[in-house]
Order: sequence, then structure tokens, then C-alpha cells
Amino acid sequence: MGKKKQKVVLPPELPPDVPEDEVEVSDEDLDFVAENIQHVGFLNTLDTQSITRHVTRVADVKEDALESLYEQRLRKKSLLKQKDDNVLEVDPVDALPVKTPDGKIVFRTVPKARKVADVGEATSDNEDNVADESLVRLTKAEKRAKLKKLRKEAKKQGREVTEIEEVNESSQAQADVLEEVKKDLTAEEVNESKKFRLAEIGTALLTDPEANIKSLSEMLQISKSEDRAIVALGLKSLLAVFKDIIPGYRIRLPTEKEQAMVVSKAVKKMRFYESTLLSVYKAYLLKLIYLGEKPAFQRVAIRCICNLLEAVPHFNFRERLLAIVVKNISSADDVVRKLCRAAIKSVFTNEGKHGGEVTVEAVRSIAALVKAHDCQLHPDSIEVFMSLVFDEDLGRAQKATVDKRTKSKKFKKRKNQEEQPSQLPNNDKKKARKEMISRTQEEVDADYKAASFAQDIAERRRMQTETLSAVFEIYFRILKHTFQTRTDASSVASSGGHPLLVSCLNGIGKFSHLVDLDFMADLMSYLGKLARGSSDVNGSPESSLGGCLTVSERLQCCIVAFKVMKSNLDALNIDLQDFYAQLYQLILEYRPGRDKGEVLAEALKVMLCDDRQHDMQRAAAFIKRLATFSLCFGAAESMAALVTLKHLLQKNVKCRNLLENDAGGGSVSGPVAKYHPYASDPNLSGALASVLWELNLLSKHYHPSVSTMALSIANLCNTTNQVYHTNVSPQQAFTELSLEKESFTTNSNINKSGNKRKRANVQQAVPTVADADTASQTDEVEVRKKLSEHFLLLRDISENGRLKSELDRTTMSLQLYQQYKKQKKKQR
Amino acid sequence: MRPLDEKETTQVFEKLFNFTGNNLKNIVEAPSHEGPESDPGRYCFRLNKNRVYYVSESLVKRATNVKRDKLVALGTQIGKFTKGGAFHLTIQSLNLLAANAKHKVWLKPTAEMSFMYGNHVLKGGLGRITENINTNDGVVVFSMSDMPLGFGVAVKSTQDCRKMDPNGIVVIHRADIGEYLRMEDEL
Repeated sequence: MGKKKQKVVLPPELPPDVPEDEVEVSDEDLDFVAENIQHVGFLNTLDTQSITRHVTRVADVKEDALESLYEQRLRKKSLLKQKDDNVLEVDPVDALPVKTPDGKIVFRTVPKARKVADVGEATSDNEDNVADESLVRLTKAEKRAKLKKLRKEAKKQGREVTEIEEVNESSQAQADVLEEVKKDLTAEEVNESKKFRLAEIGTALLTDPEANIKSLSEMLQISKSEDRAIVALGLKSLLAVFKDIIPGYRIRLPTEKEQAMVVSKAVKKMRFYESTLLSVYKAYLLKLIYLGEKPAFQRVAIRCICNLLEAVPHFNFRERLLAIVVKNISSADDVVRKLCRAAIKSVFTNEGKHGGEVTVEAVRSIAALVKAHDCQLHPDSIEVFMSLVFDEDLGRAQKATVDKRTKSKKFKKRKNQEEQPSQLPNNDKKKARKEMISRTQEEVDADYKAASFAQDIAERRRMQTETLSAVFEIYFRILKHTFQTRTDASSVASSGGHPLLVSCLNGIGKFSHLVDLDFMADLMSYLGKLARGSSDVNGSPESSLGGCLTVSERLQCCIVAFKVMKSNLDALNIDLQDFYAQLYQLILEYRPGRDKGEVLAEALKVMLCDDRQHDMQRAAAFIKRLATFSLCFGAAESMAALVTLKHLLQKNVKCRNLLENDAGGGSVSGPVAKYHPYASDPNLSGALASVLWELNLLSKHYHPSVSTMALSIANLCNTTNQVYHTNVSPQQAFTELSLEKESFTTNSNINKSGNKRKRANVQQAVPTVADADTASQTDEVEVRKKLSEHFLLLRDISENGRLKSELDRTTMSLQLYQQYKKQKKKQR
Repeated sequence: MRPLDEKETTQVFEKLFNFTGNNLKNIVEAPSHEGPESDPGRYCFRLNKNRVYYVSESLVKRATNVKRDKLVALGTQIGKFTKGGAFHLTIQSLNLLAANAKHKVWLKPTAEMSFMYGNHVLKGGLGRITENINTNDGVVVFSMSDMPLGFGVAVKSTQDCRKMDPNGIVVIHRADIGEYLRMEDEL
């Protein structure tokens, strides 16, 4: 860099030889740029500008600066800001130099244009980034900032030039004028200038971070101002800058010993750069953390923190970032919580960025959080685990390699054994050479491992194991907590539900296949206890425990138990009798408004449709109960129930006895001779002794699809041999009908009106029997006419009735009056 | 014929409870619709010649008409007391147990015959098994089409069954319906 700068210093010497004409100078510069454009890059732009600076200063030192400053002051005094804004809004950023009317800018049009062109080429990516990130910001402010940033380039460069070239007189003069102007500036103006300064530094940093690293701290200073907008802007622009310039590795500050060593200039510069970056970053984080606790800045600060965590999870101080994010993951503020959730999710999904370490840390800290808050958190904090990815093939691949290795070893051995006899004489030499080769090979391997970023498989495996154990620690804690609060009923009322249970159950359902089988027994027993919920084994619904778990939650427990069984215990076909009994109970306790129908439909699908075989008794009991159930509830629920029912009937041929018309069930009815509708155990309900009379009622259901379904089930018996399987699952049926709900209301209205019309037709047709044939074939007009007649008649009738009632009233009053008269006469 | 004394009753109930769990209540309280009486009576246990019978009350009343040494059997036999005083359930109790069983095992069709020849149930023959079976629980054995085949005692809990090799014994044979042919005389 230093060399380049020296090169850079050279050009200013050239211009003085050339006449003061700006255009010529710029042309030369342009040529220079054109020649060196490949390697010089942005430095060129700076240089040319400094050159122009120099030139202008030589030409008319103070006049220009003064002119511009006076102009500024004038503008401020006359409050032309609105106009300014308008101009700014109209101006696209790129077209700036052409449109701004200031003398100063016209003066520098050429360098600016050049600069824009260069920068556009070199840093288009950066700017795109900025644009992307700054979508959050006000576009107006952004535009203004960008505009002004270019304008202000002059001052900044002036300063830089003075630093570099040590040209004192001119800069001092400028500084004097600047101070003069600053006094005039109002507070708003200060803010404005701060904004410009922010934008200015930001772009400078993005174009060349190494040269401008010092100005980072200035940005931080600016963001410490009192004005909230400025602080927010400062934080955000710092975020954008950091996101861009933070390197892809962790910075390790040199130890004292290392610092004492003599190093080359490049290394020194690098060290300086890194240490500055790190210190400013630390200060920035501290500020964010500090602001994150203030309600006014909470959202901005959390947004910045989350963005940082997403973008640079590998960098220093990530523990702090993580701590803040985890702390806020169950925040009461929706926006903050969503941000944190998204950040954690991205950490989980993009493990490549940080090699999985952050995942472990995050899960652990969430576990600590859950523990600290005694499971009373927002469900979001657990839901993030659903985006965790565990690579199951890790272990397998390793095993395979191990196998291969052993195989190859065996193979080698055999080979050796075969070879050895023949090669005995010159064995020693070869052995030594082989050893050497293998040793060097090992060394190379070790070096390669150390150098490459690819992680050891064992390491990753270890990390996954840790993550998994932490996750399941949380899950089991929640289950245990739910169970404990369930047993002491007094605390249940106060705590009010278990917010984490549902997402915990979902998680268990998803990850259960990764757990050791030894856990399974405990897990299943806990799930069973939870599913049992309020009702005791004895079936007394109002036990002292109180129904703290909702029906949906208990259904969820059953579903999860089945999923767990299915995902990892498939080798042994286990019959989950307890859970069937629970489902049998829960169907009775279901209330359409209160509980989630989707959960019930899912339970029906998972437990009754997916399972391969059932006892005849149990199947019959479920069939009977589902039929009863579908009588009482809405179309969607009853449709789901009917689909399940049909499925069960198709699978269990013996249960079709239920469709026969004689009660008692005959020999198959088993030991229980009578149907007990309220039995808690499906095996003892004696459902085989009953008849599915519900289907007959359901075939007159108001919803057409339900009634057709009921009819098809009722006819199942006649088409015994015809084995066809319905593709619709209860869930699908449920969602379809519940979606249809809204549209169906209008639908039913149409049906009703249609019925009315029919009825009207009938009524009309009765008096005019002769017209009956024609009436059936009537077109719309005739129908309308008849309808109008009919309604006219109806109105007449009602009118008649009204008149009659009036007449009655008057006669009544007349009679009363007469009675009154009679009584009066009597009294006399 | 006489009712069971206290010691015998506990013995019988312990055995039955091992198989049926809380459903034992259903066995004891089941109403019987036998006999001329309008109100349904209950079932009770009676001992006759070291064998225990499950009889409806009305039948007991009528059986009193028969001389004790002439009475061969009444009701359903469910078990017998051995000479040593232990109580064994016999195959005749299968229907009662199957209806109220708590722990069940379903056999694959290939394993059915082996079981009905009096062999133990191996893991390889296991078609399905209820959860929560513990060691020494009484288990009723079914065919895959829900036909009761016999009963036995679990050697392994459901959890342990997973880790067993296919030749391990899951249920020790106690009685099977093959006995009706094999031991016709002794029953």
C-alpha cells in the first residue's frame, strides 16, 4: 500500500506544469486512469481527485471554497431545504454531477464523473450489498445521504490530502471557513451533516477497508449522538460495513512475544488493521448490547445483532451475540422474537459457516434458558429446533471406511503372507523404505488436515451428539415439568397451560429416531401418562388432577407416541393398547370449537388408518364411536370420521356385521352381550352387538358429500368382494371440507332457495293439475310468473290475516265497551 | 362342591390378576343371564375335587341337587389345585382370559403350529406384542386373526424383546388349545 501511495503522490506534480484549464487536467487524468485501470483500481480515483484539489487550490485557492460555503450558508438561512429535498428526490444517484447546479459541483464534474465510473466498475458489488442491506432504511434518507456523500467528498479528501501531503496553509484556511460555517449550522444541520458523514465513511470503507479502517471509530462516535434517528442510522450503517469487511476467519490478536518480534511492513499493517477492526467491533457490540436493553432502541439493536449473527457466526465475540439473541428469543415483542428466531434458524441451517460450534452453543444456551424460566416461555424458543439438521450418514460413512480399512488390512495381510516367502532375501531394505514412505505419508496427511478447513468427521459427530443430547434434555425437561405441574393441581391453575408442550411434542416426533432405544421406555411411559390426562384409569372424568392438558394436547401425545413407534421401533410390531383407549376416550371429549380439528384428523389417520391390523373388538368399537361422533359435529369432522370408518370397515371384514340389520351380533359379539356406549376401554364396549343405525341418519345429512359417503359405507356390505382403497386420508377430507365451509354457506342458501322454488312449484301445481305436465317443462319466464303470482297470493294472505286481526281487535274493544256500559248501568 | 376358602381365593385371584390386571373386576362382576330368574345373577368360583369352576349362581343352586361324589363338573373349569397346594390355570379358562387379557401376543402363522404342540414362543414367531409387558406377566397368545391359542408367562419385557435374537424365548408356554387333543384324558 505504501508504495502505491507514493506512486499516487507523484501525479500532483504533473498538473502545475499544465495550464490551469480543468478540462485538460481531467483529460490527462482520464488517460492515466485508462492506462492503469487494471491494477490501480479505486486508488486512482482518490488520486485524481486529490490532483484536482491541488489544481484548484493552485488556481484560485480561497475563492472557490468561500463561494461554496457562502452558498451553503445562504441556502440554510433561506430554509431552502424543501427545495433541496425535491432536487434530491428527483436526482437519481448516478446522474448527480450533471444535475446539481452548485458551482462547486460543476467545478468538479469531470473527476466526479470519472469517479462514479470507476467506482461503479470496481465496487458495484459492494454497493449492491449496501443497497440490499439498506432496504430497511428510509430510501429518502439513503438517497440524500448518497447524494451528499459525493458532494462532501471534497472536504474529506481535502483533509486527507493535507494529512498526506502536509499542505498546511490552504487546509487551514479551509478549516477556518468551515468552523465559521459550523457555528451557523442549526442542530438539524449537524444531524444532516452527520448523516452525510456516515454515508461518506461507509462508502469509503467499502471501497477500501484497509486504508480507511481508522474512520470506523469515527462512525461509532457519530452513532453515539443523542438523536435517535442518527443513532439508528449509525448502527445500521456500521452493520452494513461490518458485514462487508469482516474477514472469513477469526482474528487472533498477537501475543506480546509475537509483537516483540520484528516483522515486515505488510504484516504490521495487517496486524494494525485487524486489531483496529476488532476493537471497534467490540465497542460496537457493547453499544448494541447496551442499547438492546433500552426499549427505544431495542428493535434496531436486536435487528443489528441478529443480522450480525446470521452473517458472521464464525467471528470473534459470537458468544455475546448468541447470548443476546437467545435471551430475546422469547421476548414479548413480536418483531424482536421473530428476528431472533430467524437468526437462530439461520445459524442452525447454515452450519457450514461456523462448523457447527455455534449450533451447540445456541442449543445449550436455550437449554439453560428453558431451565431458568421453568418452561414458561414462548413456543418459538423451542420451535427453532425443528430446523436443526442431523446428518445421519456421518456415522455410517465412518463405519464404512473402517470396514474398508479392516478389509484392506486383511487383504494386505493375505497379500503379505503370499508375498513374504518369495521376498525374504531383500526384505530388510524394502521394509525400511516402506516405513519411510508411510511415515512421510502420515506427516503429509497430518499437515493437510491441519491446513484444510474440512472438519474431522469424528469432530462433527461429537458436536452432533452434544447438540442432540442438549435438545433432548430440553424435551425431557418439558415433559417432566408438564407432568409435575399436572400432579400438583394447585400450581396448574396459576401457571396456566404448557406453552412449550406442543412444539416439544413435535420435536420429539421429528427427532425420536435419533435417540438411544434405552430412552424409549421412559419416553413412552411419559407420553402415556400425559395422554391419560385428566381422566383416571378408572374412567372418572372429574379427578382431582384437573384437566390441565387440553384435548388437542393429549391427542398430540398419542400421535407422537405412534410416530415414535413407527419411526424407530418398526422391527417389533407393538400394539399400543393404552393409547387406543385414550383416543377412544378423547373422541367423546372432543369439542369442535375448542379443540383443533386438524389434530383429531391427524390422530385418526396415524392411529387408525396407518396401523396395519386391529383387534376385531377394538375396530368395531371405534367404528361405532366414530359413527356416533360424526352425527354430532360439523361436516368437516364427520367427514374425517366417516373416511376413517370406511377404511376400518374395508380392512376388517368381520366388522361388517355392524351393517347387518339385527342387533346382538351373534356369536362374534364376544363376552359382552350388550353395547356400552360409555365404556372407556374399546375392547369391553361390546360394539359388535350394536347396529350402525347412524349411517341411515347420516345419509340425510345436509352436506351432500357427507351423505354420499354415508350411503357408500352403508352399501359396502353388498359389494363385499370389491376391494378398492380410498385415497383420501381423514386429514385431507377434513381440510377440504373446512375450506369449503365458507363457500358452502352460500351454497346451502342456493339449495334452500331451490327447495323453495320446488315447493312453490308443487303448491302451484296442486291447484292447476292440468298444468302439471307443462309446469314440469316450464321455462324461466313461466316459473317467474308463477312465483310472482304465488308470492302475490302469499302477500294477500298475510294482508288478509293482518286485517282480520285488526277487525278482531276492534270487535273486542267494542265488546269491552259494551260490558263497561252494562256495568255502569248496573251500578246506577 | 364348596366355595373357596380365603387362602384359595387369594391364590386364584392372584393368578387371574396376573393375566387380566384391572379387568379382573369384569370377571367377578359380570352378570349372568342364565336360569329362570329375571334379575341377572353373578358368577362365582366353586371348588370340586381340587378343580376350580367359574359358575353362575343359578347353576350353583341347581347343582346342589346332585350328590357330591356323583358331580363330575359344573360351569367352566378354570384351573386346578395340585397335590402340593399350588393353583394352575388350565386351558379351559382361555376364553375367560382372552376376553379380559391385558397383555397379548400375536403369533405369525408359521409359529402357530409350534406353539400348539406345546413349545414356547420364540421371538422369531412374534407377529405383534402389546407394550408395557413386564417380566413374569401373564400373556394370552393369539393367532394373527385374533383367535386365542393359549397363554403363558412373559420372560422378557417388551423393551427387552427388541434386543433379543430371533431364537430367544419370549413367552413360556403354560397352556394351549392343542391340549384338548394331546391330553384329552387328563383334562
